[in-house]
Amino acid sequence: MAVKRKPIGFYLASGWMGLCVLMSTVGGFLPLPNWKVGDYDNLGVGLFSPGHLLGTDTSGIDQLSAVINGTRLSLTISFTAAILGILIGGFLGILAAYSRGWLDSVILMYFNVSLSVPTIILALALVSIFASSDSMGQTSALERIGTLILTLAIVLIPILGRIARASALSWTGRDFVLAAKAMGMKPLQIMWNHILPNVVPTLLSIGFLAAGVLIVVEGGLAILGAGVLDGSTWGAMLATNRQLLTIYPHTTLIPAAAIAMTVLSLNYFADYIRNIIDGRESRL
Amino acid sequence: MTSLLSIRDLRVEFDTARGPLAAVRGVSLDIEAGESVGIVGESGSGKTVMSRSTMGLLRGRKVRKTGSVVYNGQELLTLDLKSLRELWGTNIAMIFQDPMTTLNPVRRIGSQMREGLVKRLGLSKEDANKRCLELLKLVHFPDPQEALRKYPHQLSGGMRQRVMIAMAVACKPKVLFADEPTTALDVTVQAQVLDLLEDLRKELDMAMVIVTHDLGVVAGHTDKIAVMYAGEVVEFAPTRELFANTKMPYTEALMKSIPRLDRQAEKRMPVIPGRPPDPTEHSPGCSFAPRCQYAQQKCRDEHPALEDAGNGHMYRCFFPIGGR
Repeated sequence: MAVKRKPIGFYLASGWMGLCVLMSTVGGFLPLPNWKVGDYDNLGVGLFSPGHLLGTDTSGIDQLSAVINGTRLSLTISFTAAILGILIGGFLGILAAYSRGWLDSVILMYFNVSLSVPTIILALALVSIFASSDSMGQTSALERIGTLILTLAIVLIPILGRIARASALSWTGRDFVLAAKAMGMKPLQIMWNHILPNVVPTLLSIGFLAAGVLIVVEGGLAILGAGVLDGSTWGAMLATNRQLLTIYPHTTLIPAAAIAMTVLSLNYFADYIRNIIDGRESRL
Repeated sequence: MTSLLSIRDLRVEFDTARGPLAAVRGVSLDIEAGESVGIVGESGSGKTVMSRSTMGLLRGRKVRKTGSVVYNGQELLTLDLKSLRELWGTNIAMIFQDPMTTLNPVRRIGSQMREGLVKRLGLSKEDANKRCLELLKLVHFPDPQEALRKYPHQLSGGMRQRVMIAMAVACKPKVLFADEPTTALDVTVQAQVLDLLEDLRKELDMAMVIVTHDLGVVAGHTDKIAVMYAGEVVEFAPTRELFANTKMPYTEALMKSIPRLDRQAEKRMPVIPGRPPDPTEHSPGCSFAPRCQYAQQKCRDEHPALEDAGNGHMYRCFFPIGGR
């Protein structure tokens, strides 16, 4: 492949995602105020206040510190769910395309049924079943996060599964599959060696897109009270501060901006991979 | 009769929405070890279906096969998929028409070539690599080491077909089906690929079946030729005999429609008028009668049987050229 100059958007997207990774790994070591402890002398101060670059919310929590801290969980939740979705959805989709019999019908029916359930309702139901408050009014944060990841993955599986199935089907009819068959390759070998490598780029591209969407969905769930409880994700920050949007706009706009930039970057990566695939297809 | 591959009265029907479609209607053919047979016919004459169903690649609920295909004493038509798979590649192999689509676009040539050697012959990766280099040299690759690292899109059509050929002969099959091996290639490359196939056949002592629509392709590279029309063999003869002593009007018409340089330029190129018959409905008479310039009433009413003209020459015609 010829070495091409990558478009500027690629560097911007990579830059932001790189920053996100840094924030979620070493962000805790930065000399910033603790994101859990409010600074009661500076409640709700605006941007560029002394000691608080991005201001504080009404509890005096430093917004820069909070948004950096939120990166870790936001990305962990969405990426874990996306990876789970890719693995399980991809497996089911390829299995369906490969078996083409009753198994295909069963898997397809599962996809269709789960696609017909509204995402938010499903998520609310799952969270209230698996991670509702106990008798003491307490929920383990880890339980919440686990449920959230599971919920998002469940929502994602049928979508990615259908895409994987369609993509796998479009490759099973190709001549090189027939040629491999005529070489005496077993169906599983053909699936693994010939179909999978062609389906993976498509799934990866959709997976990036999905990871972006999941960050937004997580924010939505947080606002509905089904997200992570304390302000430890971007969505949770939005949820905590949303009532004060008109008075302290920066407290909602900062996490919103972080979400927007991440989603944009991930979409850009998805497009970038898509373009590589398209370019390769056109050379066939 | 101990032919390596013996096809007897092979019929292949597909269930379609418009009723059964008989793509192959009673083909019998014997292929001896080491010999080269050409199967010639128009699009839709059933030649690809015949070769694929002979190999056993065509299966499924909508395919009905009757007759018999015996390879090395084994009946292939009723053989289960697992045993068939054992034969594929190592005993019977196939080269396909379009080298652009028969290689996996996302995998390097080397990894695709190694696959068969490792999985079918149980070679180690290093041995398979060595064998790949030998194979690529065998098919006249200028720089085999380099080629192994390339992706299919980095090779030209002719190069890719060479890779396909190398892969097909990798496990030393006894019979090689070449389904239109040169159709997708440049005319200049066609001759090279055909010569290569011919050399490989002699070197590896395998039987070869070249399926093509181009009489010119098989003329210089086969021992025998079977001409197919509407799912039947209409003429079968040793190559030399077929060209010297054509019996079947269809074969004659095919030969006449090969473009020739010594023909007068002002003259229109001779073509066979009409189209091959609809495979879902068969007339009681000779399938070629509607397009045949010699056709008489008998041709439209009765179906001609395969007749023996001696010298291994068979034809299916009531009024053969040059008389009986």
